[in-house]
Amino acid sequence: MAEPVTLGVIVGVHGVRGLVRVKSFTEDPDDIVAYGPLKDAAGKSYELEVTGRAKGMLLVRLAGVSDRNAAEALKGTELQIERDRLPEADEDEFYHTDLIGLRADMVAGESLGEVVAVQNFGAGDLLEIRLEGSRKTVLVPFNGEVVPEIDLDAGRLVVDPPAGLLDDETESSSAEGTGDER
Amino acid sequence: MSRSVWKGPFVDGYLLKKSDASRASGRNEVIKTWSRRSTVLPQFVGLTFGVHNGQKFIPVLVTENMVGHKLGEFAPTRTYYGHTADKKSRR
Repeated sequence: MAEPVTLGVIVGVHGVRGLVRVKSFTEDPDDIVAYGPLKDAAGKSYELEVTGRAKGMLLVRLAGVSDRNAAEALKGTELQIERDRLPEADEDEFYHTDLIGLRADMVAGESLGEVVAVQNFGAGDLLEIRLEGSRKTVLVPFNGEVVPEIDLDAGRLVVDPPAGLLDDETESSSAEGTGDER
Repeated sequence: MSRSVWKGPFVDGYLLKKSDASRASGRNEVIKTWSRRSTVLPQFVGLTFGVHNGQKFIPVLVTENMVGHKLGEFAPTRTYYGHTADKKSRR
């Protein structure tokens, strides 16, 4: 079975009537209630109702939690759903949670590393790949040219980087200090 | 205070040369640069720069709506790893 996806975490309580403050990890914070009841790591189910916001967090009423003591006992609880409850992604659209952990191979077949994160700094999505046998990571643009093949079932994707993208590590600091650029 | 218009946008000369050479060659290559201060010009659209963030080169594929910004804006020097939950990306 696929790993559960954490949609939020209870970070504190609010007031004396059992409201909790929830940090939402969904793209739109209010979407945390869009997937129905959520479960904690032990499998206990929670029905959520968003009542407002405070200190950048959502104020949430949990069914069956009506006083502060009960709410405080839930501090730190991660709210999760099963991966298969997320709606089907469109064609050529991928959940970050599916991409992270995929093995990245070069077109020629040799292994490059493992996808550890999906970043976006304002110039399109980037896959952060930890290089095989190293702690170093490289970023590659996430588009059809550079990532021509993604096989979620096989847990791998193929990277075809443009010239110069992966020379980082080999070039290292020698170019930095002496190049014309600086 | 914003930059005077009569001066035009600032771009490091060597970056301009590199981009011209890359466009002329027609090859799909990453133009590595440390020049985070250079402004994105209209002729950069479609090129991929590797903008140094102090540690490594961040690939920046220039699109039309990036014109006028500085290259450094797209290569943050501090990385925040947020949670992903239901975030999606289109290839």
